[in-house]
Amino acid sequence: MYGGGNTFEGIKTDSVAQEDPAKLAEFEARIARGEKIEPTDWMPQLYRKQLIRMIEQHAHSEIIGALPEGTWITRAPGFRRKMALMAKVQDEVGHAQLLYSAAETLGKSREKMIEDLLSGKSKYSNIFNYPTFTWADCCFISWLVDAGAIVNQLANAKGSYGPYCRALDRICAEESFHLKYGHHCVIYLASGTAKQRQMFQDAINRWWAPMMHFFGPSDKISAHTEVLMRWKVKMATNDDMRNQFLDMYVPKIWELGFTIPDPNLKKNAETGKWAYTEPDWEEFKRVINGDGPCNKERLEVRRVAEERGKWVREALKSPKTAYVTPLA
Amino acid sequence: MNSLDPRVNRLPAIGQPGQILPKAALDQLGTFEVFVQPKDGKPFQHEGIVHAANRELAFVLAKEAFTRRFLCTSLFVADTRHVYVSPTTEGNTNAMDQLAEVINQPGTAEAYDIFVLPKRGKQHVHVGQVQAVLPQEAMWKAKQQNLHQGKVVYNVWAIRTADIRFTTEEEKDLWLTLPEKKFRDASDYKGGDKLKEFLERSKTT
Amino acid sequence: MSNLALKELLYKMADDLLVFGHRNSEWTGFGPLLEEDIAFSSMAQDKIGQSQALYQLLHQLGEQEPDTVAFTRNANQFHNCTLVELPNREYDFSLVRHFLFDTADALRWQMLMQCSYTPLAQLAAKVRGELRYHTLHANTWIKQLGSATEESIGRLQQSLNELAPYALGMFERSPYEDQLMADKIFEGEKALEARWQQAIEKTLAQTQLTLPDWKIQTPHVGGRVGQHTEHLQPLLDEMSEVFRIDPGAEW
Repeated sequence: MYGGGNTFEGIKTDSVAQEDPAKLAEFEARIARGEKIEPTDWMPQLYRKQLIRMIEQHAHSEIIGALPEGTWITRAPGFRRKMALMAKVQDEVGHAQLLYSAAETLGKSREKMIEDLLSGKSKYSNIFNYPTFTWADCCFISWLVDAGAIVNQLANAKGSYGPYCRALDRICAEESFHLKYGHHCVIYLASGTAKQRQMFQDAINRWWAPMMHFFGPSDKISAHTEVLMRWKVKMATNDDMRNQFLDMYVPKIWELGFTIPDPNLKKNAETGKWAYTEPDWEEFKRVINGDGPCNKERLEVRRVAEERGKWVREALKSPKTAYVTPLA
Repeated sequence: MNSLDPRVNRLPAIGQPGQILPKAALDQLGTFEVFVQPKDGKPFQHEGIVHAANRELAFVLAKEAFTRRFLCTSLFVADTRHVYVSPTTEGNTNAMDQLAEVINQPGTAEAYDIFVLPKRGKQHVHVGQVQAVLPQEAMWKAKQQNLHQGKVVYNVWAIRTADIRFTTEEEKDLWLTLPEKKFRDASDYKGGDKLKEFLERSKTT
Repeated sequence: MSNLALKELLYKMADDLLVFGHRNSEWTGFGPLLEEDIAFSSMAQDKIGQSQALYQLLHQLGEQEPDTVAFTRNANQFHNCTLVELPNREYDFSLVRHFLFDTADALRWQMLMQCSYTPLAQLAAKVRGELRYHTLHANTWIKQLGSATEESIGRLQQSLNELAPYALGMFERSPYEDQLMADKIFEGEKALEARWQQAIEKTLAQTQLTLPDWKIQTPHVGGRVGQHTEHLQPLLDEMSEVFRIDPGAEW
């Protein structure tokens, strides 16, 4: 699960001018032809740096993203939900494993990335800093946050970096289970008792603002990403992805008889664009910078997991093996 | 911690909250490349990597990291350091044509498994086995024997067969129940009927 | 064939697997290594899936629906051994418990492949690959950590010593032992225990761990007749928290 958006603020493109012009031209031509970049290819420093940053954030978002839904893993009602939620949270850990590996091919070790996550140096998707008060919050994430992630990931899967695309192909196939499972849960809540319906309505009311933040700041105010779009690192603008999400899922939410807490939410029949109340980007920034309801807990849980796992990893080290960059 | 997650509330206190100790320089395990065969008769395909202490543990961990859904009949792993890699090409340039001729090496020939990259952005695919003394020689032989069937490939890998942890014949039952694990599959969550019934019901009230 | 004896066997196996799978699922997202987090979660899912299949067999024998049986009984109605209900501690504890339990569980299922009650024999044949994986996983880890660092060996040894009496509780004799044998349903706890000890010894011999002296251990029994530690009821309360909001509702 990953919303992007928070990735590219304030990039400096100065270094591109210092790259070897012939190599740069060859690299850009390859991307323009629609060929993928493989780990051993020459690539501009900025490309490498931004890709590591993006894939790493994506990986962090998966491992942290396992926590809000994990909150309900021991309480899922009935065998069917219990098995599914276990498998789903496991998939999030699996996605982190795939994505860290893809980022490793660019030369940053998994351990270094985890260290940067714990120290707060690298970020993850904002939405996982919000609490899951009830089972219905958990269902909201499974259905709609994953739906948002799919919009973003399907776009990124068409990007230029081979190992990231391969990981995303795998991830998207698994996400289709998440999405269907999430929708299934919500249909059952919607068609269930008054209490079940209310649980989900409350979840929408709590999660709508973070959901709108999920795709990142509006294009009007977000940083310059032209070069990253040309290099097929960033594949769609934040507003386009947000619009695509609204287009696909608002009707489905309304269909179930739920309301969305934004009186201005409306599709313009002519432009096909959705109008909505501008999300509070100040809150978005505050939460990104550590001041959300669950930031401390999320990182602390990861820190404790790391600390507790230390002796295990120590015992796995062997003089016969050594860390090397994975091949693909 | 005071959390909504009962599991988090049970976590032991360890270290100083918020304080991160830098990882030891070597707190990074070896990497192992993972190859999967989805069906009998289909070629093995590279799927990704796992971190592990040794080949045996890599095999155990790769099984659930890469074959917990869809289909699988067999799996193998090899230490990344044991994979010999050719230069990568693009366009119409065949990586096989970039190989140096290495023949008649002194020593005893051993089996090598050969993999090729059929398209940039796709996975390496197993194309066969050759006997060679050196990995470079193995690649050259793969080209001579036309293991790539005349197609343009963009990268070649050679792994000494003895360096691979294969699935044994008796271990093939590891995936026996995999097709039944529908709870991991989107197809098991069809809500259409329930939704329709609900919509009908809402119309009448 | 006696249904009571068969049901008792099915209940204790199903309850073991449900409680054990539930406990192990608590590690998901908290594991020591991403790859291991995934593997451990898969095995927990296998266990819960197996328990569901066993409750389904019980349902065919006239018991209630699997969901009702699993999510509405109280601790004193559960027949699992106490080994599986103990709260998780550090990873050594969970790993050693996994090794002790799964070695026995795999052997039990293996014995049941010859069971005269065909649905159970068929289930045993079907899940054999899952059990192969669980024991391969357990043995690989025990061998690795049981001969690696001073800390890992020390931790495993301590967990092994602490868990040994609970592990022996897995083989608490049933009042139906003779009948199960006579009906060719199951060869009995005694036979299983003997095979288990051999298997445990074989793996531990490849490590620097010391085998507990079985003779001086007092098995922690009672689980099979509903006498549990104080840890089971809170586990069940947590597991059924949402289900109990409205047990008649569909979730």
